[in-house]
Amino acid sequence: MSAAVPPVDVPTRPGGAPRITLIDAASAGLLLRQHFSSGDPGPVIASLAHVPELVGPTLPFLGAVLGPSWIPAREKEIVILRTSAVMGCRYCTEAHSVVALDSGLNVREVRALRGELPVGDVFTAEEERALVAWCDAVAQGAEADIRQARQVLDVDDARLVELTLLVATTVMLNRYATALALPTSLDVRERLLREDL
Amino acid sequence: MTALAQALAKGSLGNRLWLYSNYHCNLTCTYCLTESGPLVSRRELDPDTMVDLAHEARALGFTQLGITGGEPFLIPHMPELLLELSRVLPVLVLTNGTLFRRALLDRMAPLADADVTLQISLDHPDPVANDVMRGPQNFRKVVDAVPALLRHGIGVRIATTVEDPDADDLARLCALHRNLGITDDDHIVRPILRRGRARTGDMGVVARYLDLPPELTVTADGAFWSPFGPTVTGGVLDTDLLLTRTVRPLQRPVQAMLTVLGARPEGADSTLNIR
Repeated sequence: MSAAVPPVDVPTRPGGAPRITLIDAASAGLLLRQHFSSGDPGPVIASLAHVPELVGPTLPFLGAVLGPSWIPAREKEIVILRTSAVMGCRYCTEAHSVVALDSGLNVREVRALRGELPVGDVFTAEEERALVAWCDAVAQGAEADIRQARQVLDVDDARLVELTLLVATTVMLNRYATALALPTSLDVRERLLREDL
Repeated sequence: MTALAQALAKGSLGNRLWLYSNYHCNLTCTYCLTESGPLVSRRELDPDTMVDLAHEARALGFTQLGITGGEPFLIPHMPELLLELSRVLPVLVLTNGTLFRRALLDRMAPLADADVTLQISLDHPDPVANDVMRGPQNFRKVVDAVPALLRHGIGVRIATTVEDPDADDLARLCALHRNLGITDDDHIVRPILRRGRARTGDMGVVARYLDLPPELTVTADGAFWSPFGPTVTGGVLDTDLLLTRTVRPLQRPVQAMLTVLGARPEGADSTLNIR
């Protein structure tokens, strides 16, 4: 069975002011100072810092799931960026467009994952199209789509577990970043402009 | 011995658990750390929660309680709550001392046999100078309240908060508190801390967390490093000394406190005499 990726409705959400105050170095609680010692830690940490005890357990979890692992970075960024685009998360889509470029994806691939080009036209490798279909199915959550996507995703159980947790964790972050309207950092915006993204 | 027991035994962590009963106040002092006043959000700790926290504190090894605010005696059942808390641990209550009219004094009477001490603010020996900082009639109400409380058998301390202590003023203030029945041992003098309304008003000394004695402090907003931590500036809670939002079980903020204490440099003791 081949991995045809049907078009999905990739929603776009407007930017805007964050719905919370982002904690800065002067306001960071005593347990969090290390995260602010090298400058702006980014809006995820700056928002979590409102509840200091959440930072300690959350960051290692996110690092383990989203960070470097035995799954190649390119593969992980396909998952994160595609999931974020399908979920309509402006913050994560913009941030991970840059990370994806830095992980070896080209601009056309990034555009395809963002829903701006047909995935089938840009991704020639069968396994990558199957991976995109898996992201779409898991993110949208319909059992029939998940069953169909699993049939064409040729990976063992260990890989399936990690890729699926990656989709699920990305969905969690998508909801978080969208609900709080986390702002895209200036350096990401500048890079996206330079890349015409 | 647990890490907490060791910290309490060494004195690296204060043995008093502080509870912010509320943030509202009948006064609007010019240097108030919490920007308290009659119209601010009350942010009250539920009395049952305070009692539960007292029991948890005792079980963990804390030996004293401190109650502060806001003005604690704006809480309707504060005398009865203090009696209940004092059955768990000795209690020190910080109050502006302006609410002790006959009815409240009568309700305070049962505290004569309890381990409850009131710490009342009095900043200057001259009524006008005192009241400029603290509010109209503050001086008169305090000098009336102190002997009345003592007559009821209730322990009283005086706390003086000053920007630039003047030796002559301080001597006259000490003569005044002795005349009111307060010994020198029960009079503390401390600087204005540059937080809250003092910061807005360009007063006080800057204190880093290393300058503040670590005393676990619980408020409706979370647990803090020190009772000087949960301040309010421009109507917004200061979070730089926040440990955790979760306050129960008390072990949660205690663990956070111990983590911070563990990272504290050797010899980082308080230098500002802030207490």
